[in-house]
Amino acid sequence: MRFNVFSYLIKEGFKSTFKQKKMTSASIIIMCATMFIFGLFFVIGENVNSVITQLESEQGIQIFIDEDATDTEVETLEGQIKSIQGVNKVTFVSKEDALNSMKTTLGDENLFEGWDEENPFPASYFVTLTDLSLNEQVQNEILKLDNVDEIASENTTINRLRSLANGIQITTIVILALLIIISIFIIAYTIKLTVHARRREISIMKYVGATNNFIRGPFIVEGIIIGVISAIITLIILGLSYNAIMPNIGGSILIQEMGLGLLSFSDMFSLVLTVYLVLGVGIGVLGSVISMRKYLKV
Amino acid sequence: MIEFRNVSKKYDTGTEAIHNVSFKINKGEFAFLVGSSGSGKSTIIKLILKEEEPTSGNIIINGKDTTFLKPSRVPFLRRSMGIVFQDFRLLPDKTVYENVAFAMYVVKATPKHIRRQVPMVLSLVGLANKAKVYPNELSGGEQQRVALARAIVNNPSMLIADEPTGNLDPNTAWDIMELLNDINLRGTTVVVATHAKDIVDKMNKRVIRIDQGNIVRDEKGGYDEV
Repeated sequence: MRFNVFSYLIKEGFKSTFKQKKMTSASIIIMCATMFIFGLFFVIGENVNSVITQLESEQGIQIFIDEDATDTEVETLEGQIKSIQGVNKVTFVSKEDALNSMKTTLGDENLFEGWDEENPFPASYFVTLTDLSLNEQVQNEILKLDNVDEIASENTTINRLRSLANGIQITTIVILALLIIISIFIIAYTIKLTVHARRREISIMKYVGATNNFIRGPFIVEGIIIGVISAIITLIILGLSYNAIMPNIGGSILIQEMGLGLLSFSDMFSLVLTVYLVLGVGIGVLGSVISMRKYLKV
Repeated sequence: MIEFRNVSKKYDTGTEAIHNVSFKINKGEFAFLVGSSGSGKSTIIKLILKEEEPTSGNIIINGKDTTFLKPSRVPFLRRSMGIVFQDFRLLPDKTVYENVAFAMYVVKATPKHIRRQVPMVLSLVGLANKAKVYPNELSGGEQQRVALARAIVNNPSMLIADEPTGNLDPNTAWDIMELLNDINLRGTTVVVATHAKDIVDKMNKRVIRIDQGNIVRDEKGGYDEV
């Protein structure tokens, strides 16, 4: 029978983890707290990105038609727009439609008294695209056409959301960096306690010729165990809080008015799980390697 | 077996512990390394164990120059040596049996091999009936026997002992020496660093005497003979 390295690592790793119960619990709690804050920003970021994608799919190009264009010219223009590659649907918005839509938006007919005779809104075509990446290309083609006054595709909502998403992303990265530093430190410290308590054993192991990996192995397993336990606990807490809070936000007037859907936790489950496990295992390994360095020099 | 070729060791503090030391201990030999504390004995032991690196010169162990040995190979070098210290260095929460078995376990010996080998070395050092006892229930001499059992359990080709009798009374010390002699007679090279004059005189073995980092004498005989 060969020496069973796997069972050695698991057995010694668990033994080592549960020897310093208080410190192990403390480091799991701290790791959970930091991972939770990171996870919160992570799922908010995911939601903002999803909203942006939803909005982008509805984004189109508004083509304002020259006031002087004749009806025939306007019809020709429609044909020309339709023939541009990447154009999906072309809708005509007459001067009256534009005014009416503005009336509905502001909700006060009186404001627009007399506007029906002297309608300042230009007629336009609203174009949706088959592929959003063609946006710029299509715009350039449209600008080459006659009787086009100007075009607009700026969507302030999307732009605002984009800068919000950027802000969230930066915050998430900063929190991630803090999470990694704090967690590595706390795991390294926890393992150092076990290592220190077993320094005699370690020095004897060195003298009788145990390899560094053999000595280090159980402590790395200890780091991984702490990391994985923290990851799983945080995932559960994050999932529960998300499901408790999100229905309130998702049901809010703003979100419903815009016809947007927020992500459910199960949509993100595998992504969050993967991120947490990678973080937990990575931090665990790094923390234990750092804590061992001094003790392996014999 | 163990050869030093013009070995010098200067510590970072600037003190030169040994200067241009050369000697050769052959396979199966028994040699004492003597000298007062601070003479460089411990440095030589540390260099043999590759706990320290020489500043210059070469150290050849078992025909291999260890000067440029990769750190990852050091554990395998140490498996060819058994090591005994003045302070025994036993694990207090493990029994005598477990202390010895531990040395086999950490070099990945199979459970079957451990069950066969440990009782054998325990009876060799005369502790067959103390296997289940904890170190703090043993006398100093018995504890050093456990340490000796642990040192030889993996069948090393050499045994390095650093002041093995330093904490023992003269009679017990002599028992340990006789045990080291037995181990030597079984074919293991034995190097003992000590300043126990009586023992060295009585054993009448090769004596390498270090003084202020230099070898001042290397011949068979007593501690002080010139």
